[in-house]
Amino acid sequence: MMFQSNQLWHVKEFPESFAAMPNGALLKKSLAAICLVSAMSFLPAAESSAANHIIRLTAEETRNDGFGNKLMAYKMLSHIVDGADITGRYSPDATIPGPTIVLTEGDVVHITLENAIPGAYTSSARTPSKQVSVHVHGVHYDILSDGTLKVINNHDDEGAGDGLEASHATYEYKWNVAPGTAGTWAYHDHNFETHNGAETKGLFGAIIVNPAGSAGYDKEYVLYLGDDAFWGMEIDGTSQKQSQHGVNPTLTATQNSNVRFHLIALGTDIHNFSLSNDYKWFDPGTLNLIDTIAIGPLEKHVFTVKAVSSTRYVDNNYSNKLMGMTGKFIVK
Amino acid sequence: MNKMIFWIKNPLPMLPVLLLTAITVLTSPMALSAVQSFNITAKTLPNGQLAYSLGSDAEAVIPGPALFVKQGDTINVTLTNSTSVDVGFSVPGLNASAVKAQPGQTQSYSFQAAKAGTYVYHGNGKEMLGLFGALIVDPASGPVDKFVDDNGAIVPVAQADIDKQFVLFMVGSTFWGTEISSDGATQKPLWANPNPGAVENDIVRFHILSIGPGHTFHLHAHRWLKTGTNSTIDVKLLKDGTDTHTFTVKAGSGVGAGDWQYHCHLVSHMEAGMHGSFKVAPAGGSGASVVGASPYGRILLGPKDEPGLVTFEVSDEPASWFRSARGDAIVGLPYDIKTKSLEVMSPGSSVNFVMSDTNGVHTISSLLWPSGAAHMPFNQTTAYRGGGIVKLDTPGLYVFTCKVHPFMFAAIIVDDPNTEGLDLGNPAADYKIDLVTGITGLPTSTDLAVRLLKTFFIATAPSNWQDYSTGRWSVKFPTLPVRISGAPFGNITSGGLAAPLSAVLNSDQPIAFGSKPAVPGVGEVWVNTQFEKTAGKYKPGTISVVDTANWTVKRKIALPEINMNNPHNMWTNRDQSIVYQTQWFDNKLTLIDHANGKLIKNIQVGFSPSHVMTLPSTDDVTIANNGEDSIMIMPAGTSFVFKALPTQAPGQSTAHPHGHWISADGSKIVTPNISTGDVGIYGSSGGIEARTPTGNNVPGAHPVAIGMMPDSSKIYATNLLHHTLSVLDGAGNLLKTVNLIADYNPIDGTFADKDGNGIIAVGVLPIQTPVAPDGKSMVIASMGGQIVVVDTKTDTIAAMLECDPGCHGANFGAKKGGGYYAYVTSKFSNRLIVVDTDPNGDGNLSDATIAGHVPLVTGGTTAVDDTVSSLPGFGGQGVLAIPNVYNGWVQNLPEAWKVGLTDLQKNPMGR
Repeated sequence: MMFQSNQLWHVKEFPESFAAMPNGALLKKSLAAICLVSAMSFLPAAESSAANHIIRLTAEETRNDGFGNKLMAYKMLSHIVDGADITGRYSPDATIPGPTIVLTEGDVVHITLENAIPGAYTSSARTPSKQVSVHVHGVHYDILSDGTLKVINNHDDEGAGDGLEASHATYEYKWNVAPGTAGTWAYHDHNFETHNGAETKGLFGAIIVNPAGSAGYDKEYVLYLGDDAFWGMEIDGTSQKQSQHGVNPTLTATQNSNVRFHLIALGTDIHNFSLSNDYKWFDPGTLNLIDTIAIGPLEKHVFTVKAVSSTRYVDNNYSNKLMGMTGKFIVK
Repeated sequence: MNKMIFWIKNPLPMLPVLLLTAITVLTSPMALSAVQSFNITAKTLPNGQLAYSLGSDAEAVIPGPALFVKQGDTINVTLTNSTSVDVGFSVPGLNASAVKAQPGQTQSYSFQAAKAGTYVYHGNGKEMLGLFGALIVDPASGPVDKFVDDNGAIVPVAQADIDKQFVLFMVGSTFWGTEISSDGATQKPLWANPNPGAVENDIVRFHILSIGPGHTFHLHAHRWLKTGTNSTIDVKLLKDGTDTHTFTVKAGSGVGAGDWQYHCHLVSHMEAGMHGSFKVAPAGGSGASVVGASPYGRILLGPKDEPGLVTFEVSDEPASWFRSARGDAIVGLPYDIKTKSLEVMSPGSSVNFVMSDTNGVHTISSLLWPSGAAHMPFNQTTAYRGGGIVKLDTPGLYVFTCKVHPFMFAAIIVDDPNTEGLDLGNPAADYKIDLVTGITGLPTSTDLAVRLLKTFFIATAPSNWQDYSTGRWSVKFPTLPVRISGAPFGNITSGGLAAPLSAVLNSDQPIAFGSKPAVPGVGEVWVNTQFEKTAGKYKPGTISVVDTANWTVKRKIALPEINMNNPHNMWTNRDQSIVYQTQWFDNKLTLIDHANGKLIKNIQVGFSPSHVMTLPSTDDVTIANNGEDSIMIMPAGTSFVFKALPTQAPGQSTAHPHGHWISADGSKIVTPNISTGDVGIYGSSGGIEARTPTGNNVPGAHPVAIGMMPDSSKIYATNLLHHTLSVLDGAGNLLKTVNLIADYNPIDGTFADKDGNGIIAVGVLPIQTPVAPDGKSMVIASMGGQIVVVDTKTDTIAAMLECDPGCHGANFGAKKGGGYYAYVTSKFSNRLIVVDTDPNGDGNLSDATIAGHVPLVTGGTTAVDDTVSSLPGFGGQGVLAIPNVYNGWVQNLPEAWKVGLTDLQKNPMGR
């Protein structure tokens, strides 16, 4: 079961519960949007049978701040689904956040990581770890695909590059996107420099696991909430192209389209997200309409709205708001 | 029902309960609810932590005993307090009683389990030291939970389905665990950061609770349901205060056996060691849990042969910033240990820090450790609320500090029981130590090592501070037998053999405040006597206002109405009517009326704000958020922060700026970034113009304060831990690094003119470094007890003057009749030192001298807003002369404030 379908199921059961949706004047439009989404959810989906994904990912240095300080990022080298190459939907560059990997319950993923960070294989002392890894949330995998160092998992340094104990030129992870894993989940490094990894240095991305047969959206936005900025990107619902990567990106939508936000927090701060109180949405799995959400590191929060008016997304955390942690959501 | 009948037979003492029960019977369908009675005792554990036990005879445990009841039950708690502090029993969400039992007393609490759920109960005071536990209210009937099976099915869980359950409390940066049988009847403490165990496919119920700052809980490779929904999650936020989250998993469901890490997912807490493993054994395995570090274990005087735990409370309290939970007992041992910041334990035990007594943010960071020690250096790159926990396997001395407040110290001696005396270094490496600044293999017999030890024992023991009002400075060091490195040195007669530490270090000498300067200054000097305590508030710190006409303290400002906390640094607005004051162990900026010392407003800023200055161009206020990643801007004439200028590009390591300076034209803000080891230059309306590392590729420089030439042509930065001065041009290019300890031999402690500048001079642990308003000289207040005078023409050391222990703050003010005084403060003494860098005004600084000293203790004519209770006049840090005569600011003074200034002082650049 997944919250999106719960939500729609509830829509059919309790249509009167939407009286508060979103701002009063927009009520009718919103109801229409919900009905539309409900209808779409019963359309047969393209990817309804289990698929086999072969993914090659690299981790690179990127984004020199002009003073020699760099971040790291994942880049999609190739993504083959049941023999079809869909690499073209990703950025050709290493991006922050990393590539968003869209999967369906029942899929199987083989994901191989290469380490393209300078010096990753030259550390003789093996301390600290120069190894990068992929630790994924949500889906099924066995202990060898945990993406942790041997000091944690007691099996192996599960990453690419010089680990504390074991070096690997590349490392392959196997994910079983089993029933019951639908949702949006983070993947991130768990090994670089310490056993905690370098997730705050840019090595993070998202997977979106859709239930088999679920509907698509006109746009999907992934917004990572960091300690001083959003790192985001958007996916076009038709072309599946991923774009607008980076800090506090401007997100766009067409009027009355159905868009889905995927929030994941990362770092140390606890955030308080809103769309400037211009939109309300369902707290996942509930009938509660909310317009702000407290979200802590590596929590996820996914919601759908109908794009009706331009606004800003913002973190209301005291210091972050003052630092300008906000971006535009433009509805044309 | 039987219990209810029993109560009715004894109606008198139970009347309130009876009434409550009756109300329940009348108003709810839960007429079958029971009365659950718990006798609970609060005790002090061997490591000084506090804990609850069930009954009076059982072992007190952290977390406290888990209490299981059914919805609708009446809960009666009888609390007996066997500790030395007041203890309560508060259950937020069910019974927020503030009533506490005094030491030796008993209190009763009675309340209804009105709503199913998991609740925190706690001691309502010292709770973060261990007085917390779980109260679990399950539905009166039916399933207690549900879990997600490996095929995605959502399966209800009845009580009988559960194989085992775990309580994991998230407190500071430490997990505290208990393993519990399915019926709740058998409970086993798993202590700190345990590894809970289960067999694959066991149905395991986790109760995650938190008290204090918030967390997110993550368990690898498992997923579960968001409470009350069918929505699947694998991370859960536990909010600040108290919060709980109960969920059930099938162990290894869909993922198999393994050591699956669980941890808090806040990066600062991950760095702080907040993790363990859920050990899922294959079918047929034992599924046994591995117990973590125990307060009863192998620590000094610990009673049990199991891995032990010592705990330090992180505090705003002077000297006891890292205070052992049993600090009073340590001080009471017959070894003349005057510090509460020292602990002793065996290899394999752990040290735990909990930020339970502070309003600021901190890091827990290694300063030194035994050579080659495992798990070192320990560090948090970002300051935050929480704590830290680390297992120490290698014998020797470990010293931890907070990078934001680098005089906070904790020392842990991990002693190999097979060596004579306490090991100060690694026995396997000739008792040597490594330092965070890249020095490795330093013998503990060297002068440098002994000085570091001396710094620790002075900083953390107020009885070793230099109190001039007593007329004598007697520094006593512990008589603990210690074991240090190789060759004999100084007073240590037998190298490598155990000798009392006191043989190395004791000193005893007469002291006097000294005479006051002969020539008056202009106006006032405001001094942050940051450690001075007053009767009307819990937090330390006052402002001592010195009248430079007669060199007396005319006013003490404690601001008890806001519990002013560790006031650190000040600045004024243009017309000198408002003094801006940072509270460095808090998140407040305070506006004070200059004329009468009264509070104008106390406003929120970022955590651990250190320095404050105005932009001479606009009079806007800039605040360095030392515990965060920005400079905050408060527009002139307002009392709210308008924006924050980031000190680093998005996603880059947090800079943690400390003592910033601003160019005389107001266009640039220059910060020393303690965490990233660089000088940052920022446009005053935003934008990063330069980031210049100051460590010359050696770690741990710790740039802490900035000085700037009045024409902004050069920027100076002191590097606290490298004992160096970085000289940069106005654009941020590094021109030169001046070694301030070149003349010092760290091995034998001798001094010689090794840098060939004609004088023997050092500046150990340099801090504040202002350039005189006329740009001709600079002083560096150095914590090691020196004032270094630098000639800014050549950027060489011109003179060294004697300062007091903990020498820290410096700023210039006008000297009457022309010229300037540098006012220098010291943390561990109670006088202000007045320096004249060029008494005859000839531009040659070799005659720089101490013009006089000013006692910072309350005098007969001192106006006060509170009564000084202890540490009189101590803690000298930020210092500010009013009127503010720095170039760029002095020109903006109202005419009334320019009276008394010479023409050159009114226009220091001579134009």
